[in-house]
Amino acid sequence: MQWNKTIVEMIFLLGISIILAFTVNFFSPAGIAIVSQWDESLGVVASKADSDVFSGELKIEDVKTAKQIYDKRTAVFVDARSLENFKNGHIKGAESLPLDQFDNFIKAFKEKYPANTFIVTYCSGRTCNDSQRLEQLLFDHGYVNVSIFIDGYQGWKAEGYPIE
Amino acid sequence: MRTLFNNGWIEIAFRWILGITFIYASYYKILSPTDFAKMVYGYNLFPEVLINLIAIVLPFVELISGLSLLLGIYPRSAALIINGLLLAFIFILTINIIRGHEFDCGCFSAGKTGSPKMMVARDVIYLIMGLQIFWFNGVRKGCFIRKNHCKRLK
Repeated sequence: MQWNKTIVEMIFLLGISIILAFTVNFFSPAGIAIVSQWDESLGVVASKADSDVFSGELKIEDVKTAKQIYDKRTAVFVDARSLENFKNGHIKGAESLPLDQFDNFIKAFKEKYPANTFIVTYCSGRTCNDSQRLEQLLFDHGYVNVSIFIDGYQGWKAEGYPIE
Repeated sequence: MRTLFNNGWIEIAFRWILGITFIYASYYKILSPTDFAKMVYGYNLFPEVLINLIAIVLPFVELISGLSLLLGIYPRSAALIINGLLLAFIFILTINIIRGHEFDCGCFSAGKTGSPKMMVARDVIYLIMGLQIFWFNGVRKGCFIRKNHCKRLK
């Protein structure tokens, strides 16, 4: 077995892979940060820098604040998870706007809620970014008053707050 | 058995199956590194600083090794890299099966994968294919670009 030759070839293949990987990541719009925040206790975990994921004023960082907003009944809570997950349990009174069926649901949603509605989006918790993606889509559809509840359904449920 | 293991037609079949599988596997990860990074995080085994680096580099190692196998460029070395990856996948999946750790971020965007046990079984089959390609000692078929990469070992 020609091990020396094999090792040189492996280094060659791996070298090309590494160079290509960092080049594509640098130029691609889908590229991610080299290092990012992966500690759930510090916020939503994501592969981009936190500043890329949320603009600070949009975040609702703790469950109690979300509950205060909920109790005032001024906001519509909108669930970004799949319809199946929504049916299995959601924040009481929340609307479903599943990210994977957004185009099918948005028309009816817009007829029901005007553009100045205060909306709080959520998904399953700090390991998902779907609530943030939903916030961006709603913003594109003219909704300017949207916040993201980062602890999501799991955080809400863990506090024993109303679900259905 | 030995003849079967050294059969050129089996070698090229395995090489193409593994090559196409790894190219296909890399495609979604390259398109959506954000989601792949979350899957790496979900295994709960890697230090924070390595998660994004793995998500950036691994798909391209899969892509280049897969292409190498498919085109017959350094097939033995590509098979060795892929066998290393498969061993790592089997090890990681087995650890998580043993400790009962299953990650479901509940994200639409992260996609769905099979059950961990099915994934281990599948990776073991791929590993057998990878070992056949590595240990094969004959003239390899289907080396379209560099025929000297596919010569019999001395």
